[in-house]
Amino acid sequence: MPPTLVNIAVGILLGVALLGAAFDRRAITVVAFAAAVPDLDAIVGALGIGGANATLHSVFVPLGAAALLYYDTAVRDQSWLGDRYGWYGVRVAWVAIAAYAVAGIGPDAFSPESAAFLYPLSDRYYAVTGGFLLSTQDGIVQTYVAFGEGWLGLETPGTIASHHIETWIDPAGEERRVGIVESGWQAVLVVTAAAAVPVKAFVERLDRTAAGDR
Amino acid sequence: MPSSVIHAALAFLLAVGLLGRFYDRRALALVLVIIVAPELDTAFGWFMDGAHRTVLHNMVLAAVLAGVLYWETTRERSAIRRRWGARGVRLVWIGLFVHTFAHISFDWAHLSGINLLWPLQDRFFALDGELALSTTDGLIQTFVEIRPDPETGQGVVDAGQGGTRADTHVPNPAKPSDEPEPGPVDRRFPIAVDGWQLYFIVTGAFALVAKRLQTPRSSEIDREGNR
Repeated sequence: MPPTLVNIAVGILLGVALLGAAFDRRAITVVAFAAAVPDLDAIVGALGIGGANATLHSVFVPLGAAALLYYDTAVRDQSWLGDRYGWYGVRVAWVAIAAYAVAGIGPDAFSPESAAFLYPLSDRYYAVTGGFLLSTQDGIVQTYVAFGEGWLGLETPGTIASHHIETWIDPAGEERRVGIVESGWQAVLVVTAAAAVPVKAFVERLDRTAAGDR
Repeated sequence: MPSSVIHAALAFLLAVGLLGRFYDRRALALVLVIIVAPELDTAFGWFMDGAHRTVLHNMVLAAVLAGVLYWETTRERSAIRRRWGARGVRLVWIGLFVHTFAHISFDWAHLSGINLLWPLQDRFFALDGELALSTTDGLIQTFVEIRPDPETGQGVVDAGQGGTRADTHVPNPAKPSDEPEPGPVDRRFPIAVDGWQLYFIVTGAFALVAKRLQTPRSSEIDREGNR
């Protein structure tokens, strides 16, 4: 999987983008943590349940959470979360679920390392990789999905049984390795997320002062 | 370059939050212009070698702009503040932020990189490497490597230096290659290469849609009618 720090960086960027007036240290920490949670399935996998990038990388986890949150805030007469934490809690919860799905699962599903995001319906790992370009000679070239035999084909390296994703807790060889950043763009992403947080904090302070003045 | 589509997606992801109460469609349009503008240095390529990724893709320009903006927006008779108010100040600063981070920095980590310190120094730099912890090798860091020169034995710092603008050409649709080849020219406009680039297009779009679905709080909208 792309290093967890990359998941956290994207999670922070999503938090900066979507927390709005709920942005504070506690909220951004919750959102960053939500983005890191899916990678814990490496530990669950080592215990013999599912595998790395499977159990917690299932889209049904955030879908279930979103359904619960929707039920609590929109269907019930009295929202438990709203009563306890007000609009702040509801906003943070929605952004945390978004971070779990987009920042926690997304980077793995869009990398060659793949994620079994339909687990437990399917224990097959899928990877959205390829390219999309316009060429004056070849027209539109798209290799992310193959359209064949009526099915949308994504690349798949195998199933939980046949494909082993190497993690620090379950290494292939002697060496245990924890990746922090794997490439230039990941380094830039992490720095960008780190720079965005103080800027957002400053912007929020200005906006709240302006709102208070009215 | 990673395509402008990816730069724009990253810029939107940043702008959604950082524009704060000044976030609206017109502000996003300005962000889009700022993101695409540096590619104009391709046009200098007609009369200047290696102009693309040099003239407008460097950190010196970003630093100079930051200095100028700081002077302009903090002085008493700031023209931007008088003409466009707090909204104008916010837009120029966030514009500089997305230019530096979503565009220049990501190009630094792509192909031959950017002419980082031009015009102070004419040298392309490409950011590449990894950072990891290993039980057998300890801390691994390959972004900046220092190793002895095989001939002189002196330490050499390798931070991804490439050629100068005279011998570096970063392919782009307007000028696919440095040496014209016989036959029809294949101009390629990459939209996304690899999973991660498509991923950022999806994430940027997600942030825009999610922001629309939110119920705004009072401090999140600009009520002064500065539009």
